[in-house]
Amino acid sequence: MAEYLRARTVDEALEALARKPFRILAGGTDVYPAAVGGPIRDPILDISGLSALRGITREADGYWRIGALTTWTDVLRADLPPWFDGLKLAAREVGGVQIQTAGTVAGNVCNASPAADGVVPLMAMDAAVEVSGADGTRVEPLDAFITGPRRTTRQPGELVTALLIPDAGAPGVSDFLKLGARHYLVISIAMVAVVLHRAPESRRIVRAGVAVGSCSPVARRLRGLEAVLCEADAGAPLEDLAQENHFAPLSPIDDVRATAGYRREAARTLVRRALSTCREALA
Amino acid sequence: MALTLNMTVNGKARKVTVESNALLSDVLRVNLGLTGTHVGCDTSQCGACTVHVDGVSVKSCTMLAAQADGATITTIEGLAAPDGTLHPMQAAFKEHHGLQCGFCTPGMVMSAVDLARCEPNASEEQIREWLEGNICRCTGYHNIVKAVKTGLTDMQSGGKVAAE
Repeated sequence: MAEYLRARTVDEALEALARKPFRILAGGTDVYPAAVGGPIRDPILDISGLSALRGITREADGYWRIGALTTWTDVLRADLPPWFDGLKLAAREVGGVQIQTAGTVAGNVCNASPAADGVVPLMAMDAAVEVSGADGTRVEPLDAFITGPRRTTRQPGELVTALLIPDAGAPGVSDFLKLGARHYLVISIAMVAVVLHRAPESRRIVRAGVAVGSCSPVARRLRGLEAVLCEADAGAPLEDLAQENHFAPLSPIDDVRATAGYRREAARTLVRRALSTCREALA
Repeated sequence: MALTLNMTVNGKARKVTVESNALLSDVLRVNLGLTGTHVGCDTSQCGACTVHVDGVSVKSCTMLAAQADGATITTIEGLAAPDGTLHPMQAAFKEHHGLQCGFCTPGMVMSAVDLARCEPNASEEQIREWLEGNICRCTGYHNIVKAVKTGLTDMQSGGKVAAE
């Protein structure tokens, strides 16, 4: 039967991972459904007891640190600035309450589903992934960490220990919109996150993050649109700045949930709506 | 790989020896005979298997029993008083007929009791949102929501069922 090891410290977890490629279990909300129809056969490294990795803190070096065991419920209850609102809206879309209580933000990232709701706002916030291994710790931008559906750059001997989000040092707002076939408990057809920061003393936008999920193998930043948004006046109709060519990074497919054309149209509409909401919030 | 676990289930200390990959839902049902915890989907969607682990509602098909070593667990069998008096939430489900086939009911009740911990004065909208992870395939949601509303009120007034 499968080996089961419950790590008591991060070092103990890393030692185990150096020994053999365990399946890492945190909240477990993606591990168990993947095994449906049969028992879990992979050796399991249970890291859910590593309480040092749980929680959101503001670090002295200008980063927000989301520990790898921080759950979606933890995100919802945390006292965070308004530009985290998009992440909180996504937190409410990850399954139901029981799943939000168990499932972790870092697990959502490591599971690397093209439809991961959490990845989109994190990308728009410029999140990076802190990965620890036997040789130390490395930090990689989230959009480089996820390389494809269910694929990341995490090596078998490595453990994701935190997500790091830079603080723009300016007032900001954010929004997250998800389109599914129904409101609750549904896998996304498309989802969009927008994060905007304005200069402290004016309405000039100094930082923009726009990301779209479920419309490409990995969620994508719309960097062309971000460039246009930067320097724009937050009082102007920002939604009209979104042009067709800005959506070129997307490569939606036809599947059981929607057609590629519908996804493309949905992404455009959701981006416009999110920009409009952020503009009103900034003004 | 067999593991010996100690947990407190419905107030009683229990020791079980299980395989390392046994799900908590299976251990509750098979090893401990607590078949009130239902398994509806096995894919973490339906919520029929909801129990409380250290006071928080979890889907017991989405947890290894090994993870519950040392934990305090309450199942639907642990809600009523030892003399059989129903928990206020159970009484409210009975009063409002918050069930049709009854399969989802244990999970609904366990989720609703956890709602009382987090939002004791939840609105109808909050109740509906909270129960997002509990699916009633009979679609009997109207009476379930009514029952939860009454249950929340009665839990605050010490269990007296409101006369309506």
